Amino acid sequence: MPRSLLDLSPRLRPALFCAYLATQLAVLIGAQKSPDRVFGFQMFNASSKLKISLFRKVQRRGHSRLVAIRADGTWESKDRSGTRHSYRWQDRVHYGPLSTLGQFVHASYGLDAQLFRLQFALRDVVQHLPADDETLALIAEVDTLENGREGAHVRLQADRP
Amino acid sequence: MSDSSRSDGTSSRFFSEERDAWLLGVLRLAISALLFFNGLRLILELQQGGYFANYFHMPILPEHWLPGEAGYGFLLGLQALAALCAFVGIFPREALLLGSTLGIYFLLCDRLQFHNNRYALLLLALLLAFSPCDRSFLLVRGRSHTLPHEERVAPTFARRLFQIQVSLVYLGSAGGKLLDADWRGGQVLFLRFAQAPQFWAEHGVPLPAWAIALVTSTWFASLAAKTAILSELFIALGMWLPKTRRLSLWLGVVFHISIELSARVELFSWLMIASYLAFVVPELRERRFEFAAGHARAEWLARLVRWFDWCARFDQRPLSQASPDGPSWFVSNREGQRASGTLGLARLAECIPLLFPLWLPLALVAKLSAKPR
Repeated sequence: MPRSLLDLSPRLRPALFCAYLATQLAVLIGAQKSPDRVFGFQMFNASSKLKISLFRKVQRRGHSRLVAIRADGTWESKDRSGTRHSYRWQDRVHYGPLSTLGQFVHASYGLDAQLFRLQFALRDVVQHLPADDETLALIAEVDTLENGREGAHVRLQADRP
Repeated sequence: MSDSSRSDGTSSRFFSEERDAWLLGVLRLAISALLFFNGLRLILELQQGGYFANYFHMPILPEHWLPGEAGYGFLLGLQALAALCAFVGIFPREALLLGSTLGIYFLLCDRLQFHNNRYALLLLALLLAFSPCDRSFLLVRGRSHTLPHEERVAPTFARRLFQIQVSLVYLGSAGGKLLDADWRGGQVLFLRFAQAPQFWAEHGVPLPAWAIALVTSTWFASLAAKTAILSELFIALGMWLPKTRRLSLWLGVVFHISIELSARVELFSWLMIASYLAFVVPELRERRFEFAAGHARAEWLARLVRWFDWCARFDQRPLSQASPDGPSWFVSNREGQRASGTLGLARLAECIPLLFPLWLPLALVAKLSAKPR
């Protein structure tokens, strides 16, 4: 039987054993501090829900104001030359729990996880509006249901760089 | 003997433990098949949804460590090929290591793709690569796919690490629920159970009123939550003790079947049930199945044992002297105690993976119907 490279010598076995377990424990404990508990083996979801409503902060006639983005995630905006362009939230955000707007959806891995990810999603979308000369920031107003109870109303914002 | 020399001896035994690696080959087939399906799903996602980094993603690695679109497609193909090689037995351990490492890299490329079941699969595949899982079921070798017994006996310390990882999955899961007041109090399950009547009605099976009253009651959800947490703790720890191992594995199988029926958890249930093979005693054919040749029912049972005894628990042989009035088949356990009838069936179910969920009910029936001496 030819030896495999992965047949460890007796001296290396304890090293692999200890290194693996130490890494696993460190990752497991570290994961508890992360909002989405990635690598934390939290196998079953909570039953929380969230409803995302999106707004744009726009500059018009020297004043900034909030404009609601339609529930289908679309909006139109002008570029510097005045040409209108269409945008859609879901063109960038394919991720299930965050791609549905205006209705309650299940918050996989809990509310903290989805709010954490939503902040990054806002930042991502606002950085990918090349011809949108009006939008100064994207704002998400989030209603939450925490395991059936009415939860906090959360406002997240990502400014245009 | 001093304490330190005794512990040195224990640790030396632990790391140099040599056992029959036959079952590790079966475990490799299961894990590599799951690894292949996991990779296939990523390939389909790439084809249907496009390259993940072309839209919103959340890399854990620095962005410039991510592969390009073509590179990602290539690596996905490589991962699927590695899983296939591991399955058929072409450098199976190296292939498992490659496939699992690539999978972990993909998870680090985008945390939105992270799911605990995928992570658990990759870790278990990684650990299996360090075990001698390449000594049986090398399918590319045709009929001589399994090495003789002497060559199969090899150091199996990585199997222990695999077992620890399985326990860690359950401990992590149970710990998370225990620390969550809504989980341990039953609120989370109550909300899930509340959807059950509508779910079953939509599937054409309206629940009777008493069942609706039961599943939508808070006490039932509270009881179910505590049972789930205790079950996971029992599975995690009970698998390590010979006296409780059988019961904890049975509970685990039933637990995962119920999860598979009630929730969408990708490959998780299959993975955990497959991982239980690592807890099966590695030595083969320590039990005996005897049957009366020419007796239709006994021969049918013998065929069933031959086809489905995937863990090679039974040494099968015809009865030397079958009594015309007595049982036509017997099952002997490791201690050599013979049984037939319901107890015999329970002992078969105990060892045959597909029948394992029936073990406890059969054993209980056998126990209750046993005549007092």
